[in-house]
Amino acid sequence: MAKKSFSAAAGLISLTILLASAGPLAAEEALHRVWAVKDCRLIVPGKPALDKATVVIRDGLVEAAGQNIAVPADAEVIDGAKLTLHPGLIDALGQSLLKLPEEKFDPAKFYSGEFTDKDRGITPELKAFDYVALGKATLEKYYKLGLLAAQVIPSKGVFTGQASFFSLSSEDKNKALVLKDNWLGLGYSPASFMVYPNSLMGVVALLRQEFADASHFGLSASRWSKELKGLSRPAYNSRHESLLDYAAGQKPVVFFCNNQHDILRSLDLAAELGLDALICDLGSEAFKVIPELKKAKARVLCTVAFKAPPSSLQSQLGKTEKEKAEKEVYPKNPVRLAEAGIPFAFSSLGTDDPKSFMEGVEKAVEAGLSRDKALEALTVTPAAFLGLDKALGTIEPGKIANLVLVEGDALAKEPKVKTVFADGLKFEFKDAKAKEGEKPTVNVSGRWELNMPEAGLKVTVDFTQEDSGLSGKMTTPFGAFDFTGGNVSGNEIYFEMNISVGGQDIDLYFSGTVTGDNMRGTAVQGTQGSTEFTGKRNPS
Amino acid sequence: MTKHRLVAVLIGLFLGAGVGLFGAPPAERTLLLKNGHVLPIAGESFDGDILIVGTRIAKLGKDLTAGPGVEVIDLKGQWVMPGIIDSHSHIALEGGVNEMGELITAEVDVLDIINPEDLNIYYALTGGVTSIHTMHGSANPIGGRGVVLKLRWGGSAEDLIFKGAPLTSKWALGENPKQSNTIGLGKARYPKTRMGVEEAIRLEFERAKDYMTQWADYDRRAKAARKQKNAALPLPPKKDYRREAVADILRGKLWVRCHAYQAEEMASIMRLCKEYGVKLAAFEHGLEGYRVTNELVENKVAVTTFADFWAYKWEAYNTLPHAAALMAKRGVLVAINSDDAERMRHLFLDAAKTVRFGGLSELEALKTITLNPAVLMGIDKSTGTLEAGKDADIAVFNRHPLDPYTVCQMTIVDGKVLFDRAKYLEDRRKAEEAKKKAAETPAPKDKKG
Repeated sequence: MAKKSFSAAAGLISLTILLASAGPLAAEEALHRVWAVKDCRLIVPGKPALDKATVVIRDGLVEAAGQNIAVPADAEVIDGAKLTLHPGLIDALGQSLLKLPEEKFDPAKFYSGEFTDKDRGITPELKAFDYVALGKATLEKYYKLGLLAAQVIPSKGVFTGQASFFSLSSEDKNKALVLKDNWLGLGYSPASFMVYPNSLMGVVALLRQEFADASHFGLSASRWSKELKGLSRPAYNSRHESLLDYAAGQKPVVFFCNNQHDILRSLDLAAELGLDALICDLGSEAFKVIPELKKAKARVLCTVAFKAPPSSLQSQLGKTEKEKAEKEVYPKNPVRLAEAGIPFAFSSLGTDDPKSFMEGVEKAVEAGLSRDKALEALTVTPAAFLGLDKALGTIEPGKIANLVLVEGDALAKEPKVKTVFADGLKFEFKDAKAKEGEKPTVNVSGRWELNMPEAGLKVTVDFTQEDSGLSGKMTTPFGAFDFTGGNVSGNEIYFEMNISVGGQDIDLYFSGTVTGDNMRGTAVQGTQGSTEFTGKRNPS
Repeated sequence: MTKHRLVAVLIGLFLGAGVGLFGAPPAERTLLLKNGHVLPIAGESFDGDILIVGTRIAKLGKDLTAGPGVEVIDLKGQWVMPGIIDSHSHIALEGGVNEMGELITAEVDVLDIINPEDLNIYYALTGGVTSIHTMHGSANPIGGRGVVLKLRWGGSAEDLIFKGAPLTSKWALGENPKQSNTIGLGKARYPKTRMGVEEAIRLEFERAKDYMTQWADYDRRAKAARKQKNAALPLPPKKDYRREAVADILRGKLWVRCHAYQAEEMASIMRLCKEYGVKLAAFEHGLEGYRVTNELVENKVAVTTFADFWAYKWEAYNTLPHAAALMAKRGVLVAINSDDAERMRHLFLDAAKTVRFGGLSELEALKTITLNPAVLMGIDKSTGTLEAGKDADIAVFNRHPLDPYTVCQMTIVDGKVLFDRAKYLEDRRKAEEAKKKAAETPAPKDKKG
């Protein structure tokens, strides 16, 4: 047992180290390097596309962008011909980078009655920053979709915690951080039951009382600091201290709204309590309250799961009506907001990962949202909501160089991202795809031994080839993994899989050439690097 | 299958008729109901007509004539009564009807959680109900605020609110607030006796009085400071929404609606309310109310109760089928309520039981679901009877509303027909046909744009 786990760990370490070091560029090397993307199609939301444009990147920022830009002598040139360059996409509010410790409710609390503020869902001191994990493989997934910045927020309970915003250029969250504790989350779902508040009406009442308490704490503390005599000293309260700026409307709060009624509640509460509020439309029902949103000059964070909330009429009428609405009505939410001129940014809350997030955005596009509007909701609008419109969202001199170089159009379905710049650091995807279209001249079905000497790793692969289709399973010291895709064209084979090692998900792409019972090729791990492999068919 | 058909119909109704009904201010539309057998509750029944102008009843009488452009509905001798009022309901709310986390939760407010898209609103209309008092449950001696709604289906939460109706404070005595039926589910919560429940209320009154004194004191000092030049305003006391709500009870701003079953605790709470000058509008359920009719009459406290629903827990055993009638005959203001989204659709049958079980007159029986609840909810100036000047809230039945075979045919709220059984059935038939047709024709293949 011990020996086995040791070899598995060793295998993992050598694989990741090798892939990383064999990568095109480590981030540190790229620092202060100068790049010029030449002859690309430049897309900035709200402006006409520019063909044959050049963008110069220096020290993490955009130095110049447009047509007829001279390439500086010290710049490394990237050929952008036939490629599109657009601003890095922003996930305005999400959770897939948040790794909160798993909590188990202790039933003994029922009997002791000793509930904490956390049990009551009052955790304004909870800071997303402290729980964000930016693994290489995770960043990879974002890059692949052109997502280069993300805001992270805890969303459980009533006072859910504070957000942080990251530009995804480094595994070191201290380097990636752009804004810390910038928004406060407010939710309508009680954190647990048997403890106040355990109902929606209780939650609303609590929101009022807590903000009033925080304001009073702030007032008493500032009075006392000015006038030490004649006033009783207020007791310190870290919870109320965390709420002070939000209670005063100096920092934005974001209401997590499960349905249209939550949106109206939030607009009313924001007006009543003087909060600077954003609406996070978890129920995709903002389209039902457009006049009210307009009147309040609301900013909306559109989620893209497009599930009809249980309170909706369609859900009350049964499964058929609900599913119909989720297909035909709810995905139109962003379209309706765009038509009404209500500013909105896309949020990944309610989707599982960046991939399903971008699939959700695509759903909105299929429901009629223009790609330009969609791009706006992933770039300039979230930047504006964050107060970062001078730094992010477009491609202009002086702005952070978060750029995506992609084949075809911006926000195409299944985008083929070639290269991204995050904070001016270059991450390039290796092309791993096999050729397609040729009739297979080989059949690889059967068991093979693959050897990756640079990674010090030997694996077994069982191939099943049916015409040009290729499926199979790779058995490694750290588990067996099924292919997620594969094909054979001529004597070239291609297969891919997602392996899970040490809590990390890694996408691997293999391409190679087959000669009889031998094969030789390259295994690629996104922008992280590649390694050579050789393979031999098992004689047995 | 049936459910799916209903689905299509209701969506059609909602999208077709509901949306936009309340968007614009109502024009002075005129509607004439002809040839009804009218039970106005106020005054003698008669065969005749009702003229509605805008949202109100303009005239009742025989042979009323319609001018040009007036919409006329011929009732063909059907029975017409005031829209039914359900004085105890929990519909049109979302996110839970009980805040059980603490004993006293006077600060919670059902105004914050109205769900205007609760289908039960529409279902209530199918039973002739036009106004309700909706509130949270009975987990707390002093719970939160309740509200009177007019069932303007299709409107927003704001549209549903019965303007001018007093807000209420929901209280509860007995088994529920002392959590007699949740033993073992957690730490025992004070109080565990009926004495303790009453004491919890008294204690809260005293706390609210202190709170009021603090603010009065602050206001006085602030006023004095404002008169002086350059004097700093004193530090205000902390705002406490719970104390504010209880203070509103003491100030008489909220009408108390108190869930209670047993006679002795009703008598006791009436004494407490008298002591503090609190407006106790009604006991909810009040199954033993027939034992304290003198006290109820003396303190002008109504009882809103069930027709024949008891023995579902220990404190609900000691009652009689004719309890409602007995109380009414002794001069207690009695209303029959539903407390339930289903029972709500046939309150007229429950009212009829007071005739069958207790020998109330038909008029008195009908009052238990119209005028009486209107009085105890403080809305009798605008609804509860059919009279010129009152809101045009009307229910139409094919037989006498107390007839066991009667079916509600039409419900009018503020002069608008929000339920019409004939139209509903017709729409349902059409939706069925459309569905059948859709099933027969193969669906065109999706073209990707």
